[in-house]
Amino acid sequence: MSVASAPRARVPRLGGWLGAAISTDHKRMGLTLGVCSLFFFLLGGVFALLMRTQLAQSNMQFVSDNAYNQLFTMHGSTMIYLFVTPMAIAMAMYLVPLQIGATRLSAPRLALVGLWTWICGGLVMQQGWFASGGPGRAGWSSYAPMSNGQNTPGVGMDLWVIGVILAAAGMLLMAGCVVATIARRRAPGMSLLRMPVFTWTALVSVLMVVGAFPMLVLVMALLYMDRHGAHIFTGFEGAIDYQDLFWFFGHPVVYVMFFPYLGSAAEAIAVSAHKRWFGYLAFVASMMMFAALSMAVWSHHMYVTGGVTNQYFAFTSTLLLVPAGIEYFDMIATLIGGSIVLRTSMLFGLTFFIQFLIGGLSGIFVASPVLDYHAYGTYIVVAHFHYTLFAGSIFGFFAGVYHWFPKLTGALLRESLGKLQLLLMVIGTNLTFFPMFFLGNDGMPRRVSRYPTHPGWGTLNELETIGAGIIALGVLVFLVNVWVSLRRRVLAGNDPWLGHTLEWATTSPPPPLNFDGPLPPIRTYAPLLDLREQELDRKRRSAEVSAG
Amino acid sequence: MRGGAIPVLAWGTILLVLAIGNWVWNGKPVGSGAASAAVVIIYGFGLALWRLRREAIRRGPPEPHTEIENVPSASLSAMLIGLAAGCALFGLAWAKFLLYFGIGLFVVAVGRMILELRAERATRREVLRDEEQR
Repeated sequence: MSVASAPRARVPRLGGWLGAAISTDHKRMGLTLGVCSLFFFLLGGVFALLMRTQLAQSNMQFVSDNAYNQLFTMHGSTMIYLFVTPMAIAMAMYLVPLQIGATRLSAPRLALVGLWTWICGGLVMQQGWFASGGPGRAGWSSYAPMSNGQNTPGVGMDLWVIGVILAAAGMLLMAGCVVATIARRRAPGMSLLRMPVFTWTALVSVLMVVGAFPMLVLVMALLYMDRHGAHIFTGFEGAIDYQDLFWFFGHPVVYVMFFPYLGSAAEAIAVSAHKRWFGYLAFVASMMMFAALSMAVWSHHMYVTGGVTNQYFAFTSTLLLVPAGIEYFDMIATLIGGSIVLRTSMLFGLTFFIQFLIGGLSGIFVASPVLDYHAYGTYIVVAHFHYTLFAGSIFGFFAGVYHWFPKLTGALLRESLGKLQLLLMVIGTNLTFFPMFFLGNDGMPRRVSRYPTHPGWGTLNELETIGAGIIALGVLVFLVNVWVSLRRRVLAGNDPWLGHTLEWATTSPPPPLNFDGPLPPIRTYAPLLDLREQELDRKRRSAEVSAG
Repeated sequence: MRGGAIPVLAWGTILLVLAIGNWVWNGKPVGSGAASAAVVIIYGFGLALWRLRREAIRRGPPEPHTEIENVPSASLSAMLIGLAAGCALFGLAWAKFLLYFGIGLFVVAVGRMILELRAERATRREVLRDEEQR
């Protein structure tokens, strides 16, 4: 491909922060989005620690009831709209063009508009802390009529709504650019069924963003109007309509927050097992089916309302088991017969699958209407979604970080610190979220700032608070690891892990147009592994000839 | 580009089947409407890709393409459009003057983007002319 490299536009060529702010290079945009998301992750983590401190003992007075409502709302909103989802898009923006051999992102200006719209959304949402009455406090789903102007008055809630609109619109634009890039910019030879596993997971995620996020923008715009006198979501039907529209976005987003991290874990596992990802075709088909089904299950969040047909949504929700099973089967089959190296990225990848299993199995529980009547509104639900989103996605995210950090920076992260982080996070995660199943089963409701002195509840809550502290310690170890690894660099080289996909065929970090030299021939979804296998075959044959 | 619209249209078709299932079994107008809207958006995206290039629905690996294209390295206007949108909507809830400032900034940023795009096209024309002369 030829490139008109020097447009005559008087675009300021700046380095540093300002240069990154206006850069249309997909790598810089992906990094900016990722770093901002990480900042919001730390902020959301602080909110979680404050909540857990309040819940450490029954009838604690650490924060007021109102402040607690604000904390759980902003914790959920920050983590979902400003960390896990955008981080998935950031990884797609950075890695997909590299993995498909593209020189750049399609419509990069549009992606930059999206990036800044999302940043503004995050800042506007957090601006609510400075508003009189505080920020949004109706939960990350902000059900109507609880979130209407009468029940949750104040500018802070308006800012929350506007923040969500901006963040969603920004992510929608960026996701659209990633879909267009995959559709239009694949390298010669890179057919759809030769795209790497991570790229497929990114593709289905961004397709879901394109399909579902417009509904979030719509429902938030309607909520804003409702709050300002339009009375759209009134009465029982209004409440059901809000939930229908919200969960049409709200359930698919769970999978947007899952698939790219699944792809990260899959890449880390396949590379560390020195084997191709097993069952590629079945995996691709299962991803497509998984993504489509996840857009047909939204009302399983509404079983108890009596406003939806439970049988249909229970049926589609249970069907999700099939593609999920295929992914687990593929993971296990990839490990069998592989020469496994237990580096940090591999360990995080394996832990992702194990921890997510608990989230997935408890998902079967809450996908059944009969059982959901018991679990609804209790800590079982909190445990379930934290096992999918934290114990699942975040471990997949760290598998990706340890796998691709050398590509992004040219330096290796410290393995010893990585393993310490993993240990702390596994202990912390299970200590925090597993007792929630017992509490929920015992009837402890979610979203309460104080709870009665019920036998056992105090101890379990105390354990959860200690667990949250251990998770925070794990995250601190990660930050120290990044700091140390960037300050005292251990150079990684271009391909430290013997990677399978095209991003390992370029320099670390990659040059502005991604690839300086010609790409290797692309005949499968693991072109670099093909090259190595061919070389090995050639050597073996020549050895046989010389022996003969 | 070759085959680029296939996964989009295939996925849209699976969504369509599920949307029909939802309409038949669940039958709630809002839910069915939301599912149908998603199908329309995804199909629209796929059809737009197809319309851009016919090969978008043909199977097989993409061919090497030799077209000259611009690669923007930075865009101040794109950042300003994002900031303008944020500013205007923030002003809606916080202070009206920010709404007007945001709208003004949006107009300026769009103007700046038009200049950027025109300059980019001019560069492309120059490069093409140079190539022809060679």
